Amino acid sequence: MDFRHDILPLKNIIFRTALRIILNREEAEDIVQDTLMKLWERRDELEKVENLEAFALTMARNLAIDRKEKMDNQHVSLEEEEHDRADDRQGNTDSGVMRQETRSFINDIINALPEKQRTILQLRDIEGKSYKEIANVLSISESDVKVTLFRARNEMKEKILQKKSFFL
Amino acid sequence: MDYKYIEQLLESYFACTTTLQEEQILRSFFSQEDVPGHPAQYADLFNYETEAKAETLGEDFDERMMACIEAKEEKVTKAHIVKLTTHHIAPFFKAAAVVAMALTIGRAAEHAIGEQEAEENSNVVAVDPYIKSSDVRQAIRVKDVSQAEMKATNDSIISLATEDGIQ
Repeated sequence: MDFRHDILPLKNIIFRTALRIILNREEAEDIVQDTLMKLWERRDELEKVENLEAFALTMARNLAIDRKEKMDNQHVSLEEEEHDRADDRQGNTDSGVMRQETRSFINDIINALPEKQRTILQLRDIEGKSYKEIANVLSISESDVKVTLFRARNEMKEKILQKKSFFL
Repeated sequence: MDYKYIEQLLESYFACTTTLQEEQILRSFFSQEDVPGHPAQYADLFNYETEAKAETLGEDFDERMMACIEAKEEKVTKAHIVKLTTHHIAPFFKAAAVVAMALTIGRAAEHAIGEQEAEENSNVVAVDPYIKSSDVRQAIRVKDVSQAEMKATNDSIISLATEDGIQ
């Protein structure tokens, strides 16, 4: 087990998944660090782990859910973070700005979903994972994954159609 | 491009019956600049999905992470060294115990022999009938052996001391 070759490459998928749960970049980065460190500490056990990525994602998700709960209890405001994100996006042309606004709209409606729905949506539609892998990460059945994804996708569809009719 | 096919795929997508490959086809389709007709309203969704996968950590992350790992490793190695040292010292404790025992036995033997000799000397004139000459010889031999032991233990103490010095 080599840190740079076996564990470090998991950083970005862990980051995106943790970010989808905790909705704060700094916190998500901390979770990546903690997860990678824990994996390295347990490297002797990892030889037996069938799917290292799923194992790492389960770990990261648990950490993220814990921290999110603590943050919510402390009423940490995420508004500032949202502004930072909007500023980060480059929009030089008018159409560019418009496109980013709609993308931000999609981001917002995904992030408004319950945690389980947005994590599953993240793993399926953004990371391109199979139902089996997702079930493994969340320790639930594949049919549970499908049902939850169904709800998430249809909520998205509804919000997109609502927005459309609002502008028409 | 046959939009009917895309419409069908969209329907399957929202019914969660598309395969991963079909979902990839949808994303590729919507990445075209101008998507015409009814499917266009979902362009943002699929383009968002494509873009969101490009979200990565900053370049400085690796450096910070490796520094964390190295700091951790150093701690672990140090702890390991301490453990090793106690391990290394353990046989010396045993050796020291053996030396101490040899010394005690040696001293005791010497003491006993000394007493015996004194007794012998005082009894030379009287000629104690209970002391046979073989006993005396035995005693002398024991004394020689204990002296040899003393020398050996002294040597080993010296060698231990030098080894310790090297350590």
